[in-house]
Amino acid sequence: MMKVTNLRKSYGQGEAKVEVLKGINLEIIKGETLALIGKSGSGKSTLLSLLAGLDKADTGEIFVQGQKISSMSERELTHFRAHHMGIVFQQFHLVSTLTALENVLLPLELLKREGALETARNLLESVGLSHRSHHLPSELSGGESQRVAIARAVAIKPSILFADEPSGNLDEDTGDRVMELLFKMVADTGTTLVLVTHDQDLAKKCSRIIHLEHGSLL
Amino acid sequence: MKFKFFFVKEMKKFPFFFLLLAFTLLLGTMGLVGISIVTGQVQEKLKNNANELLTSDIAVSARRELFPAEQEALSRIFALYPHQRYKIIDIYSMITHIREKATRLVEIRATEEQFPFYGKLTLRSDKFENENLYVSKDLADLWQVKENDDLQIGELVMKVKGVVEDDSSMGLRGFSLAPRIYLPLSKLLQTGLIKPGATGSFAHHFKLKDYTQEKIQNIKSSIYREIKDSAVKITLPEDSSEQTGRVINTLTNFMALSALIGLILSLVGVFYLYQSHLLARLKDLCLLNLHGLTKREIVIGIIAQFSFIFFVVMLIELALIIPLYKILAPLLSNNLGIELNGEVHILSALTEIPFLFGLSLFILVPLLLGLMRTPMGLQLKASKLSMGRFRFWDFLPFIISLWLFSCYLSHSFRTGNLFFGSLLLVFLLSTLVVRGGQLLLRKMISGKGLLLPTIENGIALRGLTRSGHKLTLSFLSLAMGATLISLILQLDRMILKEFALDPKKPSLFIFDIQEEQMEPLTQHAKEIGAPLAYVTPMIRARLEKVNDKKYVKKKRSYDFRSKEEDEDQRFRNNSLNITYRNFLTDSEKIISGHPFPPGGASDDRLPFISLEKRWSERMDLSIGDKLTFDIQGVEFEGVVHNIREVKWTTFYPNFFVTVEPSMIEAAPKTFLAVLPSGPKDTKLMFQRSSVEKFPNISFIDVEELVGKLSGLFIKARQAIEVISWLSLAVGLVILYGLSHDQVYRRYYDLALMKSLGFSATRLRLNLLYEFGALFLSAMSLGLFLGWLMAQVVGKEVFKLSLSVDWGRILYPAGLLTVLCLVTILASSWRAVRARPRELLSDS
Ligand SMILES: Nc1ncnc2c1ncn2[C@@H]1O[C@H](COP(=O)(O)OP(=O)(O)OP(=O)(O)O)[C@@H](O)[C@H]1O
Ligand SMILES: [Mg+2]
Repeated sequence: MMKVTNLRKSYGQGEAKVEVLKGINLEIIKGETLALIGKSGSGKSTLLSLLAGLDKADTGEIFVQGQKISSMSERELTHFRAHHMGIVFQQFHLVSTLTALENVLLPLELLKREGALETARNLLESVGLSHRSHHLPSELSGGESQRVAIARAVAIKPSILFADEPSGNLDEDTGDRVMELLFKMVADTGTTLVLVTHDQDLAKKCSRIIHLEHGSLL
Repeated sequence: MKFKFFFVKEMKKFPFFFLLLAFTLLLGTMGLVGISIVTGQVQEKLKNNANELLTSDIAVSARRELFPAEQEALSRIFALYPHQRYKIIDIYSMITHIREKATRLVEIRATEEQFPFYGKLTLRSDKFENENLYVSKDLADLWQVKENDDLQIGELVMKVKGVVEDDSSMGLRGFSLAPRIYLPLSKLLQTGLIKPGATGSFAHHFKLKDYTQEKIQNIKSSIYREIKDSAVKITLPEDSSEQTGRVINTLTNFMALSALIGLILSLVGVFYLYQSHLLARLKDLCLLNLHGLTKREIVIGIIAQFSFIFFVVMLIELALIIPLYKILAPLLSNNLGIELNGEVHILSALTEIPFLFGLSLFILVPLLLGLMRTPMGLQLKASKLSMGRFRFWDFLPFIISLWLFSCYLSHSFRTGNLFFGSLLLVFLLSTLVVRGGQLLLRKMISGKGLLLPTIENGIALRGLTRSGHKLTLSFLSLAMGATLISLILQLDRMILKEFALDPKKPSLFIFDIQEEQMEPLTQHAKEIGAPLAYVTPMIRARLEKVNDKKYVKKKRSYDFRSKEEDEDQRFRNNSLNITYRNFLTDSEKIISGHPFPPGGASDDRLPFISLEKRWSERMDLSIGDKLTFDIQGVEFEGVVHNIREVKWTTFYPNFFVTVEPSMIEAAPKTFLAVLPSGPKDTKLMFQRSSVEKFPNISFIDVEELVGKLSGLFIKARQAIEVISWLSLAVGLVILYGLSHDQVYRRYYDLALMKSLGFSATRLRLNLLYEFGALFLSAMSLGLFLGWLMAQVVGKEVFKLSLSVDWGRILYPAGLLTVLCLVTILASSWRAVRARPRELLSDS
């Protein structure tokens, strides 16, 4: 469902130029769970941001479900992402002026989905946070915030879900439970998952593992 | 280390914050420092002028010649102090320019040897000598009077010796009713104009050999003890300066208060800037605390840092203002009608700086206390940093000093309180509107989805309901700016309208018409084609008794007044001009009581009296009071029947006291009439020919007077307008800061919404809705409050009824809206274009 060819990305210019990705080729099959591992600074987050269309590559092509997202305009990309992709960040970003429920509601209403409110309530229920639905992000703990973020990412039933170290900012116990939840949600809906992590145990739970080192896949 | 941290590292790392802080402070204090320089100069000038205006140390005067007994008493009192003295008589009279055959009303000033003790008369050529006839420059210009021309003054013909270019005792008079001529007192007595019973000002001036304030006060009390007649007035230099300077003081006070609003706005900005800065720096401050810097040391460091910035700003300001002032001084001189030299006394510029510094520092008190209450050690463990909260009373030092400062600037508790009260009102209403609005919105959105009706609106509404006091602050600063602008624009319009040359306004005021002259004068006017209007009898009277008790004036409690001044008040002159008539003019309105009955007075009751509202308040009289007047020795009694409001600016003959036609018609009186507006030639012809036939009649050219008055107001308005635009500029800088900061704070929110599928356009729309709604409501409230205040002032000062001028409301509204929208877009431009990629990196 996703095909990447000869992807390159560098930051900076002249002396300060850093080549982060040096020609990535990758294919992702529908329904698989893919773990992306590598040392800190190896370019995992950079690759993820390109796959999710959050940033533009220097050269190379990315196809998602037959559509070439690498050459889409910013507008088209925004539209495509809203319909097909879900993202979970390490810093569990939530819109600070919206409550937990409204944060989950946001992508649904943006796409004008039928029964958005009902769906959002059910999702919060399934991540075990229905009693927190009217709290603002500043009133939620880290684990709770990340669970809301996961509920929001899967709300639109994306065809592919990206997660960048979703448990990185949580303690081990909470992190484990959040990851369990993520895997359960993905399994229930048959969503494709790309997970960035440097936790070997976590990676082993995925159907495939790929290594990134100095900007190349091993 | 501490020094390096607060003064070098911080400023290097956050140049934008410190620059914005400095700029906000600079704009906010500019108006006040500028005005304090002008005020300082004006005050000094007024003080120097005070003696020159009076021409002596003390003057004892009355509208009649002092009785022999009174003159003896004066001599007795002054015998104790070595002194010099002279007498000045000022009377109004018509004089004739014999060569031109032209006649005109002039003020005759008759003086004695040694006049003036202080100040001087500058002649075109030669020096002033107290033996000759001189004319003022106005008269010379108007009438082409030259040296050696003959003037007929009463029964005497005299040759003009010279022209007075400048008379220091004329001071700041924006206008005078009539031009002056000067002649020796001995000559005046030969003119036959001083008959027994003639009115004018008869003043005895004294100069002490060894002047002290104490001696003058002693003399003053002695005179009050010896001369009981309230018709005798004592004037000191302060009094004459106070009178002439009042217009200017009012003007500078008003400007100072407008500038204070600018300062308050900028301080709101400073508070806001510091708050977000401290929040951003909290993590580092906590770290410093962990490594041994106490909270107190941190707070002192911040205060030192702020003080440093403040004083740098003041230096820059003075460096800017002094050359600027040199350029502006001639312009200001023109506007204020007072000669200002371009020199700046650094001292007068410095007087207000400590106040400004205190006020600016006090606004930071809540933040610093909040910092003291922050559990810094604990904070580092928490994932989210938050500052200790501040409480309402943390603002008290600021609020109290603001109140004192506004009283100090306006030089009166009354005005200061009024100003502070209005500020408080704007503040309370703003808070109420914000809180009420938030409550309402919260109800509206509770349990609903995000589409209200669009998702951008829904998110904007949530932003509005969930931001706390920041919202109130930005609302407040905007509402205040809008209030000020609206107030000034509305007032401005009222003033212009009031002084517009209305064709219905009279062109000439004719007074001193004797009873037997009424017939022939009316006839004469008709022949010329300028029929007289509003012929009104005028009777000189004195209020003797109220409800059969001797009239004693009530004390005014609200002004700053010393004991001596209270004493002056007690000896106030109770004589006034009254009239009788059975109808109301267009400019009068009864506000309580009933009109006089149409049938006229009947013998079984006392005649009715109508009083002007403000005069009745000042004299403490009300409906039902029985008043006894002394009219040239005869008692007249009447009962207050109604209270009238009078629109004085119409310039129709109106009086504080109007009596129902009754026995009073028999009292000795003169008549007053009005020549309605018409061609200028007719006016001049009428004036000239009437004076030939009826030499005792006097005229006032109302058109000329109104022109001069409105000129004065227009100048005042210009000065005020400059200040209010300055305030608006401050408001906009703050607005920029506020929305920039808000948007920046939401940086991650915006990036996140982008990653969820919002386009830049939709984000911008969302911001526009949120801030737009905030700004529009703040502005509407401000414009409304400004309008309301202008109506109150208009009603109190100009007796205007409620009016709405949509042009004056919509034009600033349109302008402010555009400015606000541009500000929002400009401040959010970069943030909206943030790449969602940045969400992946650590914050
Ligand atoms: N905006 C940027 N400008 C310049 N260099 C960047 C930028 N973003 C990332 N880099 C560099 O690119 C390299 C890869 O960064 P990336 O964030 O992808 O690493 P990562 O594998 O996610 O590391 P980690 O495990 O620590 O999150 C790093 O060396 C980083 O310094
Ligand atoms: Mg990373």
